[in-house]
Amino acid sequence: MRRISRIAAPVLALGLILAACGDDNSSSTDETTAPAEETTTAETTETADTTSGTEDNTATEVDVASLGLIADGKLTVCTDAPYPPFEFQDETTNEWTGFDMDVVREIAAGIGEGLELAVTVQPFDGIWLAPKAGTCDMVASAMTITEERQANALFTDGYFDADQSLLVRAEDEDTLNSLEALAGKTIAVQTGTTGESYAEENATDATLKSFDEPAAMFLALEGKQVDAILQDLPVNAERALKDDKTVLTATFPTGEQYGFAVAQDNTALGDALNAGISELKANGKYDEIYAKYFAK
Amino acid sequence: MSLSRRQRLRLVRGGVYTATVAALVLILLAVDWGALGGALFKWEIVKDQFPDILTNALRNTVIFTIFGFIGGLSLGLLLAIMRLSSVKPYRWFAATYIEVLRGIPLLVTLLILGFGIPIATGWQWPNPYVQGSVPLALVASAYIAETVRAGIEAVPRGQMEAARSLGMSYTRAMATIIIPQAFRIIVPPLTNEFVLLIKDTSLISVLGVTAKTLDLARFGRNGVNDTANATPLVVAGLVYLALTVPLTQLAAWMERRSKAGRR
Repeated sequence: MRRISRIAAPVLALGLILAACGDDNSSSTDETTAPAEETTTAETTETADTTSGTEDNTATEVDVASLGLIADGKLTVCTDAPYPPFEFQDETTNEWTGFDMDVVREIAAGIGEGLELAVTVQPFDGIWLAPKAGTCDMVASAMTITEERQANALFTDGYFDADQSLLVRAEDEDTLNSLEALAGKTIAVQTGTTGESYAEENATDATLKSFDEPAAMFLALEGKQVDAILQDLPVNAERALKDDKTVLTATFPTGEQYGFAVAQDNTALGDALNAGISELKANGKYDEIYAKYFAK
Repeated sequence: MSLSRRQRLRLVRGGVYTATVAALVLILLAVDWGALGGALFKWEIVKDQFPDILTNALRNTVIFTIFGFIGGLSLGLLLAIMRLSSVKPYRWFAATYIEVLRGIPLLVTLLILGFGIPIATGWQWPNPYVQGSVPLALVASAYIAETVRAGIEAVPRGQMEAARSLGMSYTRAMATIIIPQAFRIIVPPLTNEFVLLIKDTSLISVLGVTAKTLDLARFGRNGVNDTANATPLVVAGLVYLALTVPLTQLAAWMERRSKAGRR
């Protein structure tokens, strides 16, 4: 028996893989329609409490089944977290929160009552390709809309204006306040971001050092391995607010806007998200969330 | 069942082979090779990776690996000898060091040492190569120390006793009799350690990279950003293989040879 099972194991494994592949295909096409609607009615009451005020949003009637969601009753969102104040986990409740998460949760509630948020964390590198790869339905990751990214993903309308900015150590406040002043110095940027592209184009006299995540950049700034961090304004501003060893010395208006991304062929979800964004802006919810994270 | 044991075995084996072949054929048919090639191995993108991937990225990976290995081997040798020493504090130190550095992921050690030391002391790493190689060497030394210790213990006791009875000091016997023989035993595992180190260099980029210091993995990841295609990662993987496969084959060959030699 033992000898047989040793040979049979790989074959069984292969069989299982094939079976699993088959299942995936069928469930996403055939079964979505009926059960999705059943769960929405069943869970309405519970989710209404957490999302506060879903009743205003029911105006946009969207057929949830037409959105091609990868998991029934769930809007799966890819994000590169933690990236406060846009996406991070609440320390006490462990719930995903932040500007992006709150906006998406609110939009989801408008699309279909009981449509829950499922969050998938992955590095920012090429994150806009994730919906195409089937990892998630959409990307909400403080992501600027660029032409290059649009070639491989369908972006929603912009939902947030994000300029670039410069964060330096407090003692350099008066000296390092422009890109010219940083000639010969080292600037930290995050790999694959628009901040990196902006620095490549405009800070040609400085050395650029690229990092995987903001946390590493902040450590490098504190340890004096870099002299400045060039990245999206809200993230630098948040840091300067929390950490008095750092200070924001310059902002660069770039006209950048954050957008959500979905797979190129999923126009249904793209349209639903756009409708959600304009509705949130119209009914005041957007301003409410904005004030929560970017209080002046 | 009137089948004999052998017949039954043959039947089962035949069934298993048939099923395997059928499964492979199914997979080959199911895969859309054109799409797969377009997503993972687009020829124009492959060409674009060269020569930078070799002159820059491969060069940096090799530098990190060699610094890490030389540092790790020297320190590992010292730790192995301390570990086997008759002086208790030496043994304690070596044992603690090995436990701690083997027990913490390299990624965490890199972050703690690479960022933590300058923040805590104000001292600066002289350059990114040192900043990346030193944590790599410290972690490697913990693993190498255990390999070297096993090698030293595998040298027959009589060798030390004979050397001492000829009037050699412990240090001299260790340096000229024991360690040379131990190394002959541990060359294959050390080669594997070297291969592990090559792959571990891909973590160094968490400390930040400039255009001049990016390693193979970072080069591939940046390529994905630039091209919106996964091909650069596949090319980087192939370059890693071009480094590692010859080494593992070399290790296997040396292992066979040393087995034959000792027989």
